[in-house]
Amino acid sequence: MSTPTPLLPQGDAREAALFFVVCALCFLAALAAVTARSSYDAARGWTAQVEGEMTVRLRGADRRAADEARDILVEAPGVLSARVLGNDEIETLLEPSFGAGGLPAGLPLPLILAVEADASQANMAPDLQRRLAEAGIDSIVEAHADWAGDVQRALSIVRLVALSTVLLLVATAVAVIAFATHAALLARRDIVDVLHLSGATDRYISRLFERRFWLLGLKAGSVGSLFSLAAAALAMSMASGPGGRGGLLPRLSLDLVDLFILLATPVAAAIAARLAARTTVMRSLKESI
Amino acid sequence: MIQSKPDLFEDSAVRLDGVGLRYESTEEVLSGVDLTLAPGSFTFLTGPSGAGKTSLLKLLYLALPPTRGEVSLFGRRTSALSRKELSAMRRRIGVVFQEFRLLEHLTAYENAALPLRVSGRLESEYRPDVEELLRWVGLGPRMDARPEQLSGGEQQRVAIARALVNKPSFLIADEPTGNVDPEMGERLLRLFVELNRRLDTTVLIATHDLTLIRKVSAPVLRLQHGLIVRDVEFGPEGVVA
Repeated sequence: MSTPTPLLPQGDAREAALFFVVCALCFLAALAAVTARSSYDAARGWTAQVEGEMTVRLRGADRRAADEARDILVEAPGVLSARVLGNDEIETLLEPSFGAGGLPAGLPLPLILAVEADASQANMAPDLQRRLAEAGIDSIVEAHADWAGDVQRALSIVRLVALSTVLLLVATAVAVIAFATHAALLARRDIVDVLHLSGATDRYISRLFERRFWLLGLKAGSVGSLFSLAAAALAMSMASGPGGRGGLLPRLSLDLVDLFILLATPVAAAIAARLAARTTVMRSLKESI
Repeated sequence: MIQSKPDLFEDSAVRLDGVGLRYESTEEVLSGVDLTLAPGSFTFLTGPSGAGKTSLLKLLYLALPPTRGEVSLFGRRTSALSRKELSAMRRRIGVVFQEFRLLEHLTAYENAALPLRVSGRLESEYRPDVEELLRWVGLGPRMDARPEQLSGGEQQRVAIARALVNKPSFLIADEPTGNVDPEMGERLLRLFVELNRRLDTTVLIATHDLTLIRKVSAPVLRLQHGLIVRDVEFGPEGVVA
């Protein structure tokens, strides 16, 4: 027995245009969602990394004073470790300013201590600076979290913008599909009327359109998602290419959550398309007898 | 001749009480129509062009609601029916549209089977019946043709098969023999009468064709200026053997 012809005729040029639009929207939405998630992870990673880290710069001190400062800091409540940075480490820190060729000869290097403290204890820097001052050591204590805060705020804004973009794109997709469904309904009014007069219920007719737009959403969403996967892979490839530095930027990678986003995009597009089609058709049919 | 069933029934299959119909900002096309069709009756509806025949039929096959009055089918007021009940009611009505209204992308077989398909029945159950019906109306070799490949007469026969396939309780036909040759017209008329006799289907045929009317002894309703002006006129004895 042959497969029955669908009661709604196969798609025309308008559906091809709609496919392209939904595909583009899904591409952008998936990309925005992956961006939102990456920025969230980056912010969290940065925060976890620098919370509790401090740098102590000694002024007018020698190596013996540095060791004394280290002993004072280790004894302070909440400090987990403290150590004097060697010249190699200081050179690495200054590399962005002086290049990889080494520091100029005779350049006086500061004495710096790296302190790791309990991240749950807030605002320790002034206390440590006071303790060193009481011991006659002139120092500047900087908490890394102070700098990370700005970065974190910036990333939060990026994340908010990305999530707003996702919502806006989803709303746009729903509106476009609702418009297209309404147009399709008008274009096929003759078919809908005949189905109605043959005894088809509103749900029956609605399901014809729902199925059509569900498949369209699924296919367009899949293609859009694949394109966004390719775009993400390209971005990662460019970020980790020759000359890329891993220290400043968070590491870009596709993990299970990203793959979930890419897989969920077509399903979400299909569900949104189906719901938009259903609402539009049911509302329109209720206006007829 | 073909003898239709007697038309005196106490209960009504169709009842119109003071029904009026007005399209947007125009004069009423139907003005207080009262009409009763008994279950299993066979009736012709005639009248000049513009008298409101098609509008009356639209009310009867539930394509339009009346702007006043009440339409009752099978003892139920249609204004009181939910949308789901209206759909169920439509499944009891077979309609042959004057302009056929076949779906262009479906084959003759699929068009004829449409009422069964939308009612959710399995194709394996109804395929033999649909094919037999199409053979009966002379479309056995044309089942897989699409409407654009069929002549006007063939399209009309597909439309008739679609109206009959559900074995409807009420058959409405708008100029059902307008595009077929006399021999096929007579054959189709015989089919309507058989349906009326065997299944107690209430039949209402709107036609200008007096020759057709004369072939069946049945009441003739005449519609003029939106009113039924005569509802007990019987056609003379017919000539269909």
